[in-house]
Amino acid sequence: MKELRQILKKEFTHIFRDRITLFLVLAIPIMLVLLFGFTISTDIHHATISVLDLSNDSQSKALVDKITASGYFEVVSYPKSEQEIDNDFKDKNIKLAIIIPSAFEEQLTNEKFVTIQIISDVSDMNVASILNNYVKAILNDFTNDFNGTATMPIELCTQMMYNPEANSVYMFVPGIITLIMIIVTALMSSITLAREVETGTMRMLLIAPVNKAWVVVGKVIPYMILSFISTITIIVISVLVFKMPIKGSVWLLLAVCIVFMLTSASFGTAISSLVKTQIDAMMITMMGLFLPTALLSGFLFPIDNMPYFFQVLANIFPGKWFIIAIKDVMLKGSGFFDIWLYMLILFAMAAILMTVSLIRLDKRR
Amino acid sequence: MKVRLPFRPQQAIDTPYSIQVEGLTKRFGEFTAVNHISFEVKKGEIFGFLGANGAGKTTAIRMLCSLLQPTEGKAMIAGYDLATQPKLIKRHIGYMSQKFSLYDDLTIFENMQLFGTIYGIPRKELKDRIFSRLEDLHLADKSKTLVASIPLGWKQKLAFATAMLHRPDIVFLDEPTSGVDPIVRREFWNLIYEAASHGVTIFVTTHYMDEAEYCGRISIMSHGELKLIGTPTELKEQMQVDSIEKVFVKYVVR
Repeated sequence: MKELRQILKKEFTHIFRDRITLFLVLAIPIMLVLLFGFTISTDIHHATISVLDLSNDSQSKALVDKITASGYFEVVSYPKSEQEIDNDFKDKNIKLAIIIPSAFEEQLTNEKFVTIQIISDVSDMNVASILNNYVKAILNDFTNDFNGTATMPIELCTQMMYNPEANSVYMFVPGIITLIMIIVTALMSSITLAREVETGTMRMLLIAPVNKAWVVVGKVIPYMILSFISTITIIVISVLVFKMPIKGSVWLLLAVCIVFMLTSASFGTAISSLVKTQIDAMMITMMGLFLPTALLSGFLFPIDNMPYFFQVLANIFPGKWFIIAIKDVMLKGSGFFDIWLYMLILFAMAAILMTVSLIRLDKRR
Repeated sequence: MKVRLPFRPQQAIDTPYSIQVEGLTKRFGEFTAVNHISFEVKKGEIFGFLGANGAGKTTAIRMLCSLLQPTEGKAMIAGYDLATQPKLIKRHIGYMSQKFSLYDDLTIFENMQLFGTIYGIPRKELKDRIFSRLEDLHLADKSKTLVASIPLGWKQKLAFATAMLHRPDIVFLDEPTSGVDPIVRREFWNLIYEAASHGVTIFVTTHYMDEAEYCGRISIMSHGELKLIGTPTELKEQMQVDSIEKVFVKYVVR
């Protein structure tokens, strides 16, 4: 234990002497979460729309009011014909037009079936689909208000369920936590271990009568602590600044983060056991772990929409499981028994990789 | 349940030799890096281990330091069996490599403290030893200097002092003087002689032939084999030349 303490002490000294790295490691998560939260937001507010109200009765007016009151839309024109809608798309640059049929109230009351037409500007597909979803949500809401039994001819998107405002920060935060943990734990541990091999100090440590496991563990723990601090920072910012909910247990959330930290650290250790230089360690971690995690973990692109090959491939990267687990805990309020399988997968990955890298380190010595 | 192991004496076997190697072999697949080498080194001897690059020296040293499992053969290091007591061997040997291998971003004192603690030297005792070594090297006032900012020659001497902190019986020096100036090399060899005079066995590899002349005995490795062992004078007579450099060239090129 004395040896472990000494290695920890040394590693912390390395970290604190390298002020720039320390600063980057602690500041980048904050910057990232603020950046994603404020700028790369896919929320759209005050999108300009036109409403062609052909019935002009009390219910149609109520619907228009509801659409305006949502804050997502701003009605910039009330055209009189479909021809005018075309002009609005060209002249007023509206994103969406809504056509309410004539005799809206009557149909709603008697026939319990109304068709509302939505015309979207799909030149920006993301914006169009987000706005469509907004309208669907509002219509659904409106129907419920009017009459619980009425059905609208529009199917609801289930994605809106746990994030009714389609608040994109909720989607990005788990992804940012994942990427930060991979940078701080996997990347930094693989680099720091490779550095010892590169400078020859690893041989000095291994020639000494010290347990090899302590050397690895002692070098990796400080980075796990750093990434834990970063993770907590990200969570605190997303809760305080972006009002992200934590519906499940905070302790469970932290436990999931700790398990993922072990997994990332093991990936880092395993990578470092394959390489001899810091550059190789960095390249392999970035190309082999960071990039696939960013692309395949479901945080930028939905896994369900990927080709089958990539859906299978996504399973071997820990990010996917971690993102599912923390999303469930934060947004759905899932408990341990809902997510234990994901935690087990992450833990198993950590155990296998750690064993492999210790064996390899033993062989190479 | 704890399994009690049968009592095994942990004392070193007392012989006049500190290194005894018999038929030590290392194969990597088809390639034989070290081929049945056998030799003995007496306690307190300065044993020069020469050979061209790629002759198998480093592999041999790594086996002797129990960093690498031999494919075949036996070795007793500091009185312990390489096959069964590698931990005890590690406690009783020191190592320093051609690559300067202390941490640049730690101070002199922190480096020595790190390795001293890993070797299990008690804290207070360690501090005394570090400062007395630093005083010998006239570096006591520099103990808080970052290693990165001191000249290479000092670094090498410091690395040697660090390798000696736990008072090893044998110290393995893998090209300890490569890249330093002649004055520092001479100072370094003074340190080696001083250690040997205290009974420490020195196992040193070098590419400087003048340094080979300083050794008590030398051996020359070639293509994984070690056939030439003797005092510098013996070898020169055997090969009928007048310098170790000529012995080396004649033997290795042959």
